[in-house]
Amino acid sequence: MSDKKKFKGLSDKAVAWLFIGPSVFLLLAINIYPLIYAIRMSFTNFYANKIGREPQFVGLKNYIKVLNKEAIWEKMQVTANFMFWTLLLQAVIGLGLALLLNRKFKGNELLTTLIVLPMMLSPAVVGVFWTYLYNPQVGLFNYVVNFFYDFGSFDMIGSSELAPWSIVIVDTWMWTPFTMLICLAGLRSVPNYLYEAAEVDRASKWQQFIYITLPSVLPFLLLALLFRGIENFKMFDMVVELTSGGPGSATELASINLKREAFEKWKTGYSSAFAVILFVTIFGFGNVYVKVMNKIKER
Amino acid sequence: MKKIMILLFVSLFTFSANSNAKSITLGWAAWDPANALQELTKEFTAETGIDVNFEFVPWPNFADRMLNELNNKGKTFDLLIGDSQWIGAGAVYGHYVKLNDFFDKEGISMNDFSPATVYAYSTWPKGSENYYALPAMGDALAWAYRKDWFDRPELKSEFKKKHGYDLGVPASWDQLYDMCTFFQGREIDGQKRYGAAINTERGSEGITMGVTAAMYAWGMEYENPNKPYDMEGYFNSPQAVEAVEFYRKLYEDCAPPGHSDAYMVANLDAYKSGQVAFQMNWYAFWPGVSKEDSDGRVSGFFANPKQNVAAATLGGQGISVVKYSDKQDLALEYIKWFARPDVQQKWWDLGGYSCHNDVLNSPSFPTSTVYAQGFLDSMGIVKDFWQEPTFVELMLPMQEAIHDYVVNGKGTAKGALDKIIEEWVEVFEADGKL
Repeated sequence: MSDKKKFKGLSDKAVAWLFIGPSVFLLLAINIYPLIYAIRMSFTNFYANKIGREPQFVGLKNYIKVLNKEAIWEKMQVTANFMFWTLLLQAVIGLGLALLLNRKFKGNELLTTLIVLPMMLSPAVVGVFWTYLYNPQVGLFNYVVNFFYDFGSFDMIGSSELAPWSIVIVDTWMWTPFTMLICLAGLRSVPNYLYEAAEVDRASKWQQFIYITLPSVLPFLLLALLFRGIENFKMFDMVVELTSGGPGSATELASINLKREAFEKWKTGYSSAFAVILFVTIFGFGNVYVKVMNKIKER
Repeated sequence: MKKIMILLFVSLFTFSANSNAKSITLGWAAWDPANALQELTKEFTAETGIDVNFEFVPWPNFADRMLNELNNKGKTFDLLIGDSQWIGAGAVYGHYVKLNDFFDKEGISMNDFSPATVYAYSTWPKGSENYYALPAMGDALAWAYRKDWFDRPELKSEFKKKHGYDLGVPASWDQLYDMCTFFQGREIDGQKRYGAAINTERGSEGITMGVTAAMYAWGMEYENPNKPYDMEGYFNSPQAVEAVEFYRKLYEDCAPPGHSDAYMVANLDAYKSGQVAFQMNWYAFWPGVSKEDSDGRVSGFFANPKQNVAAATLGGQGISVVKYSDKQDLALEYIKWFARPDVQQKWWDLGGYSCHNDVLNSPSFPTSTVYAQGFLDSMGIVKDFWQEPTFVELMLPMQEAIHDYVVNGKGTAKGALDKIIEEWVEVFEADGKL
């Protein structure tokens, strides 16, 4: 039988499955199965490092424990603060930079490349070298801040008041270019005739920004913030390298705590419950966010 | 063409000869003593023809890397120089080979090694005669100080005037504090100096090892000696609370700026760069510090000062044969060689800390280096963290709670210790101990 004849026998549906089959298989094996397994584990007292001990069903005990633990709520609060400030700063600065780079001026391309550079670095590397930049004795950060106003010696990483800001600053430095690039794409898709018509109607620059630029770029900005929000909810490497979650637990994000519970304390059942709660939280927020974003797009 | 063929043949022969050569792999932490061991092991290879490959893992990842390897029943290592706290897990989970029969057969007696090191590095259950390791590297937390600053007449007289006693090796933690604050912020040779580089690291075991140096000296016990795992009133006793409060005071008043997540290397750097008058660190680092100070003018060393009792935090490791190794016989041959008194003497000479009585009891030992007497003193008073199979689960809550109190300034010392006990009870309950 020739190859031509053999494939002639396949229906469109079969061909479609042939193409999507491997992806569906990988999705089931790598994402769905572990998720179901984690949900199952979350109802047990399983400890992955206790070899030979059979996990026992404990009902909702792990969920109740997670939700009643004060330390977990502290970590959630740290995560919420981190997300709020990083997203706010990245939205404002990213949009500002995009507006700047949307203008034509000499060196535009070079400046764009330079601004985008931090995003290309490994988060772990960024975490390590910012520990040097933040060093209160020899770090450049203190020097630059004191150049503008003499605060004296201050320890960004060692102070519980400043440490949460230290991770916000680094994340903003690293990922604002991402927001900027998406906004820039949005700005470049705004047709010029809208501005020409606004000029004819004698609209001011501010009015043009409020009534043309901002509505056009908003769906792009929201999309960028969705990506950043998801990434920052699971932020791990940069913060671990920079502060190890410290001082104390001042910068211990939910994801860091989850890793410690799951792979250092080996409380597999308990941490599975925590992971499921985090998953439901981000899934819920994500859905609401996408719905709001779609409504804005439809306007 | 003929030459090429010969070359090819020789290369193939060499490759095949190498692949057939006897070799074992030894895992340890990446630090100065590991280099000394590598040097020492050349003699083993020369004697036996067994090649020893080394895999040294940086300290922050050491426990993660090795314990994952053991939990996964990995065959990467034939020999492992594991931390003292791992011995429980190594024995209970069957990661380490029990060495009693081998010791009996080869005439290796644990009586030939310092009792404190045998207890800490080799036995499980603690104090029993079940041996899972040979004491390999004795160690304890100790202190180095800037002798050259202490010897300056103007500083000596100023200190004596202020505190009424001589500036020198502190006899207690209170004296240590006086000296640290004396140097804190002081300008010496045009440079601002600080008191002490102490352990504050959050990620692995740093701050726990540091704070327990104070807690032991104040007389803290982990549990009721008559009722195992009963920690209430022992681990959070008034003395233990006072020690933790003191450690925080030491951090706040005497540490250099930015020393909020520091352990071995950071303490060493702060000291070597001339920032601090004191550094807290393991004996393992003193050969390196001492080597750069050949006339002994700059640095002095001393054992952990006493407060209510004389005590020091135990470090160090034993060498074990990994149960999952396919080359246990070769690994045992290495242990047999390493246990020899002459090899132990060379080990000390090269910068390793032998635990063998022949070395430690030699009349020349106390004066063999400037830190040898301190080492002897320390090994007689050492105390260790829990050596339970669940020691990682026990270590983490202590790291978090102590860092939160000492560095973050959150809550009270009593609150931190109560919180640790709460978590430890949970760990022991899950482990079936309570």
